[in-house]
Amino acid sequence: MDTLSPTSEVDRLVRLVDSQNPFDMPFSEVLPRQLAAVNERLKDRIGKIKLLQNRAQAGGIGEIGRMADVVPLLFAHTAYKSYPEAWLVEKKWDRLGRWLDTVSTNRVQPLEPERIKSLDDWLEQLQAQGHFVNCSSGTTGKCAMMNASAADLHMAGHTLVQAHAWATGIAPQRDRRALMLAPVATTPRNVATQKLMVERFNAPDVEPFFYPALPMTIGSITEMVVLRKRIAEGTAKPAEIACYEQKAAQRERAMDEAVGAVADALIGSRDRKLYIMGLFGPMYKVAELVRARGYAGRDFSAENTGFIGGGLKREKLPANYREYTLETFNLAPHHLFHGYGMQELNTNAVRCKAGRYHMAPWVMLLLLDESGEHLIEPASGAHPAGGEHEGRAAFFDLSLEGRWGGLISGDKIRATWETCACGHRSPSIHENILRYADTAGGDKIACAGTIDAYVRGVA
Amino acid sequence: MNQAIQLKSAPDPAAHAPFFVRGALVEGHEVRHRSRDLGVDFTTPMIDLDAIITPRTEPGPLFEVELSEIVDFLVETGRRMTLERNAHLQACARRIAATNVLPRVVIEQNIRMAADYLKKERLMELVEQNFGNPKLLDEWIERVDSTGRRSFTRAFPPRLIHVLPGNSPVVSVQSIAMGAMVKAVNLFKMGSSDPFMAVAILRTMLDVDASHPVPRSMSAVYWRGGDQQVERAIYRPQYFDKIVAWGGGDAINNVIKYLGPGLQLVSFDPKTSISMIGVEAFASDESLGEVARAAAHDVGILNQEACVASRILFLEGDRTQVDRFCQRLQQELAALDATSGKAPPLPRDMTEEVESLRAMDEDFGVWGVGDGSGLVVRSDQPVDFHPINKTANVVPVKSLGDALKYINVATQTVGVYPPARQAELRNGLASGGAQRIVRLGDAGGTSVGAPHDAMYPMHRFVHWIVHEDGHVRG
Repeated sequence: MDTLSPTSEVDRLVRLVDSQNPFDMPFSEVLPRQLAAVNERLKDRIGKIKLLQNRAQAGGIGEIGRMADVVPLLFAHTAYKSYPEAWLVEKKWDRLGRWLDTVSTNRVQPLEPERIKSLDDWLEQLQAQGHFVNCSSGTTGKCAMMNASAADLHMAGHTLVQAHAWATGIAPQRDRRALMLAPVATTPRNVATQKLMVERFNAPDVEPFFYPALPMTIGSITEMVVLRKRIAEGTAKPAEIACYEQKAAQRERAMDEAVGAVADALIGSRDRKLYIMGLFGPMYKVAELVRARGYAGRDFSAENTGFIGGGLKREKLPANYREYTLETFNLAPHHLFHGYGMQELNTNAVRCKAGRYHMAPWVMLLLLDESGEHLIEPASGAHPAGGEHEGRAAFFDLSLEGRWGGLISGDKIRATWETCACGHRSPSIHENILRYADTAGGDKIACAGTIDAYVRGVA
Repeated sequence: MNQAIQLKSAPDPAAHAPFFVRGALVEGHEVRHRSRDLGVDFTTPMIDLDAIITPRTEPGPLFEVELSEIVDFLVETGRRMTLERNAHLQACARRIAATNVLPRVVIEQNIRMAADYLKKERLMELVEQNFGNPKLLDEWIERVDSTGRRSFTRAFPPRLIHVLPGNSPVVSVQSIAMGAMVKAVNLFKMGSSDPFMAVAILRTMLDVDASHPVPRSMSAVYWRGGDQQVERAIYRPQYFDKIVAWGGGDAINNVIKYLGPGLQLVSFDPKTSISMIGVEAFASDESLGEVARAAAHDVGILNQEACVASRILFLEGDRTQVDRFCQRLQQELAALDATSGKAPPLPRDMTEEVESLRAMDEDFGVWGVGDGSGLVVRSDQPVDFHPINKTANVVPVKSLGDALKYINVATQTVGVYPPARQAELRNGLASGGAQRIVRLGDAGGTSVGAPHDAMYPMHRFVHWIVHEDGHVRG
């Protein structure tokens, strides 16, 4: 971060990422500072992010005085997928660029359309302008496109490393082998985060290990989304669909083969301390294979550490998948980093020893009612309301530069502003986090609907 | 005081939704459910699975009842359905208002429409259009084919499960009437946003004659769609012939699992309706006003909850003309608030998309706000979201023929202006998959007995049985 200013509250808060114990600032102390910082962001961004400008005008908000003022300025994740999908299908890069500009801090300049053949080309040209666009990797829905600055990419990884040390007590000392085992899309953010993890954790005398299957570029993910749209429209030809399904089957096979390669790498490095970044779904399969080959927790270092996230979509795992996977690699639960975060934000909330996710001081936690329109006030007068409150999670990540930091999530959380059982004083979130989409009933029947209800997905 | 809890307090006591099982009302509060749309609780009795099944060895109560007697009974039921004089329907309107997104005034209109549906001429016309010869329902009709073989055919009563939609109370009365006229054994699975209307109509039947075979042929219950405990047990050809289902996506996928030889699906698929407006609309300021009013009417049907409500309007004209139309359309949509109330505000996701489009003012135009009072979005191609809550998506085209590429099997009603151009478009529309062509402004009308979703529904409900009697001598 080369743009830090000593007079900026944003910068003072964000700089706490390098402090010893950033997750201990009580709500009463952090709130006025966050309000001042959000206000500072608003003043600067209102003339830059067009969607924010519209929002502020519609809500009549020019100044942040209290938490409730932030609510009308929060973006839903759909703000980042509000471009017409037809533009992707028809490769209208100039229009996509104009759209991206309305949700970006820094101007998206016109590109040379004749040099753009694919979405990946477009993203590459944007990178040359300093726009690092990340896509959500949904394969059936529209891709969210989120602009990030180089500083955002750095911050996303850096907060992870710092929080890792805070949560596990294991600081990065380049004394272990780093294994990057998550089959994630090669978005700029994923690439940058993995690179940083390797730099900080991997020992100089050993090669890091990267997940071996075909890289999934944003373009290849989007191909699937585009094809689905064309199937719905009736413009896709059957041969094209068959060809695509074949490709998807190949990718599936490659992922199955990767299980063996990953198991080999883990077994081959079992004499060293390891840093493992992965997803539970695929890691469970690796654990099974490692055990089948006769290895178990006793064969791995007790000082292993890592970050293993969800990745359970479409996977059917036994109830004890966590314990099974962690035991296989001798990963003690307190050596494992747990974060609660989302692609739309730079910063994760970090799980403490009491099992709660703590907010960094540069991220404001806003608890809203289910509709997302009303703030559930954490404090009445000078006294924070006691106990836990349930509602929709929303955040303002002050570290975000490339786009607006205010976001409403789809998550149903329970939060408290009181000191946690772990002793840390920052606001914290209960570990049971649900998605509102999953809690809603699934039996809505109406005669009104679209062609989507008839479309069989691809692969 | 815990504000988190205060914000989301359900009305207490929760609305009660009794069941109706083979001619008898079943009260009980054993099970608590939550309505899909508004998250409001309601209570129902436990389902007695054995009671809602009529074994095949037992003929349905209506199998040998004459159509004319059934129609007379339905007509009498209709007479008793005057909202002001029917306590069941009054309670029903109150309860639906709590679980459904439709405003009370619209629900009451719907209930009045439901009573209107049960008129003798109308019901008979419906049967005639579906079967040609209504006697097919009562008798084995003789025919001798070209080779001299004799046969007798009857439209035999089926055993039906009706999976009712929750978005239009009037569908309950249609399903009950059609189910009665084909003399079926009927099980109605009600929707969570209206688990009341079917039972209210059936209770009215009990007031007419509690021992009549029509109510005895009917059961109406609620279970949560997809509840395997219920569906795995009863969705079987040993008990039912056909599942008549409204909806798509998950609602239909739940049902499809159980289909097979002997248990078929008659589906009323989810539909989108559209409008096609020719450049003739701009002939004068007066015509523009008329067209905008007609278009607004089609968009606003049941506050756009219905499948016949228009969502995308293809319009011939240059940018200035199109924008003039959009502005007028928004005004006309807002004017509807006076009679049918505001629609609910747009969901957050949709608001976000609309606001992003508003920010791109070169490529899009947005008139109005997303508070349910009427919103118009102009875009070069149909928008990615599904316009709801009185939202019209206006898409300019060079010629209405250019819009045909957007037609698909989910396109139901197409409102056309000027009416003279319907004939020019109808083959192309039908070929693309559309099922109903009307004059702009008339999407909510119905030609009695006309096909619905490209079929004659009652014709599909029955079991076409033949008794073949060999060659006729002489």
